[in-house]
Amino acid sequence: MEDNTVYINAPREHLVDLASKLFNDFTCSFRTCIGIDERPLNGHFSVTHVFTDDRNSLYVLLKTYAEAEAPRIPSITNVVPAADWCEMEAHDLLGIEFVGRDHYRLVLPPEWPEGVYPLRKDVPYDYRPRVRGVSERLSMSTELGVIPIGPYHPALHEPEYFELYVEGERVVDLKYRGFHVHRGIEKLAESRMNYQQINFLAERICGICGFEHSTCYALAVEKAAKLEVPERAQYIRSIVLEVERIHSHLLWLGVAFHFVGYDAGFMHTWRIREKIMYLAELLTGSRKTYGINLVGGVRKDINEEKKQKTLEVLREVSSEFKQLVEVAINVPQVRRRLVGTGTLPKEYAVKLSVEGPVARASGIDKDARRDLPYAAYKYASFKVPVYGEGDNMARALVRVEEILESISIIEQLLDKIPKGPIMLEDFEIPEGRIGVQVVEAPRGGDVHFVMTGRGRPYRWRVRAPTYSNIPALKIMLKDQPLADAPLTIASIDPCFSCTDRVIVVRSDGRIERLG
Amino acid sequence: MKRVFKPVELIVIAGKTGRVTIKYPFEGPLISQEFRGLIVISPEKCIGCGACVNACPPNALEMLESPDKKILRYYIGRCIFCWRCIDVCPVGAIKGTTEFELATNDFLDLYTYITHSRAHCTCGTGGEPVRMRRYVIEKAPIVENYASKCPDCRKKSLINAVSLRKVGFVGEEARTS
Repeated sequence: MEDNTVYINAPREHLVDLASKLFNDFTCSFRTCIGIDERPLNGHFSVTHVFTDDRNSLYVLLKTYAEAEAPRIPSITNVVPAADWCEMEAHDLLGIEFVGRDHYRLVLPPEWPEGVYPLRKDVPYDYRPRVRGVSERLSMSTELGVIPIGPYHPALHEPEYFELYVEGERVVDLKYRGFHVHRGIEKLAESRMNYQQINFLAERICGICGFEHSTCYALAVEKAAKLEVPERAQYIRSIVLEVERIHSHLLWLGVAFHFVGYDAGFMHTWRIREKIMYLAELLTGSRKTYGINLVGGVRKDINEEKKQKTLEVLREVSSEFKQLVEVAINVPQVRRRLVGTGTLPKEYAVKLSVEGPVARASGIDKDARRDLPYAAYKYASFKVPVYGEGDNMARALVRVEEILESISIIEQLLDKIPKGPIMLEDFEIPEGRIGVQVVEAPRGGDVHFVMTGRGRPYRWRVRAPTYSNIPALKIMLKDQPLADAPLTIASIDPCFSCTDRVIVVRSDGRIERLG
Repeated sequence: MKRVFKPVELIVIAGKTGRVTIKYPFEGPLISQEFRGLIVISPEKCIGCGACVNACPPNALEMLESPDKKILRYYIGRCIFCWRCIDVCPVGAIKGTTEFELATNDFLDLYTYITHSRAHCTCGTGGEPVRMRRYVIEKAPIVENYASKCPDCRKKSLINAVSLRKVGFVGEEARTS
């Protein structure tokens, strides 16, 4: 036990019981699991399951070792359904076999050669097999109508592929294939970048919530190396994170209005968003991918002039947004399309450990900003909106309320911001330490795991929130009219490039055995 | 009843806002003074130390080496405009601008080269750039003779110095280390 993290070395035979105890009895949320090739260090593979106890602000890490030859670890998917994807990912990338479950290819493309596991340390980072393109079709069912959506643009113009099975107008089943844009950045970072360069790489994981990723990475490294980052830097991080949340939620609302055919609302939401983009540029130097995070602090200070300007912009945005949302939410077509569609009941939401606004709209009261405080959030008081309906309207309203809360958080933090340096001078990052950090991105909890190495992380694992939310789509879309499908897919605010960062495609049709 | 007419209020909002688009490029672009744009490297000030090359996250700055030249190459196509190079440059040779209209017909316009001639050691191997050596001599209390040698020759001269002195601290240190 160290700080707010509990390390448990779980023997293989007790892993399932321990995971079940944590997930089902102690109601911890399951965040992700990380496979590590530790053969150069101790001759074993390892898998670390990350749980968080949100009520007691604790991280719980369950670490299990596997033999170097034919690594086998018991699967926990029977007791923790949410672990499905990350186990498959460890199987694809490291060749760890999970006993007691089916294996299928999730991340790597179907044509990737068997027996090559890219995240093993003996595979070079620039290894490129010849891969032929194959059809996206997942199955050739003739009994049901098959509607392909993608691989381009179903929701937010990113590559992913859904196959909807319909009876008449009603969706009866869904299959998903993603990971088209896996870019292998974890391998890249582990092979040839240094600690400070990875901040900029992490920021490019996502085009919308990039700052969450770079903050999460920096916080994880700082936690691993036990660095005391100046308070002012933490305040600036929190302020910029909230600016990003406002812009992201406004973007989502605009897109949602666009999907239901209310383009006037779309235009006006994005007009308001433009002010936030300008504000972000003023505070950081860039409209997006702010590039101000470093391990040990931030690069750009907020002076008095910028502070006043920020407050002024926020006041304008706040009043304009309130006025607009009241109008837009009451448009009959918006109401009819949002209320009661894409419902995710709470029991499934818990089982799948969904994140962010999707969880909060389904009655799960969790928010990493409050439950696992990081950066400067402990100095601000804010409300976490929770709705019980679990439909698209609830998810929209959660985001609307969060925008207003974010504005209030920024105002509070700007008021309290302490004086001092913004960057830690001279520090060392020792080898072999572990840091895990959850940051509440606009889409939910974003998890970064860092195991430090010489000059660069030995292992860096990123889990974006959409990774947990996509499996919930199957439940949301079931028995819904087809016309609501694009909106429902969009309602989790999917961010496929974030999710895919780890590797590329899956092959056969079996996925999401839940529900 | 009131709710039915609520959507109509959008007209009021739209009327109050007016036109928000600007006629770019006929009007100035909407950027703030804080915007991070193109970097400009001053060939006069650059000493070719390579600090920016180490800091650059996307390898937009690279050091090309030949026996008698060291060339700093900046490729705009890879640049992410993070300005880390500006942070780390010891002589302030890199300046940031708010320039972002970088499209061009000629691919070669995207490259900037800064050529440094190398100082040669007496043994003939090419060492660090001439300007970097001058910078080091200005800043550090070392003699020119020492600074102008290549690492190999420095090692040799130390061994020579040690072997000349049969007694004394230089010899002592060499034996214990």
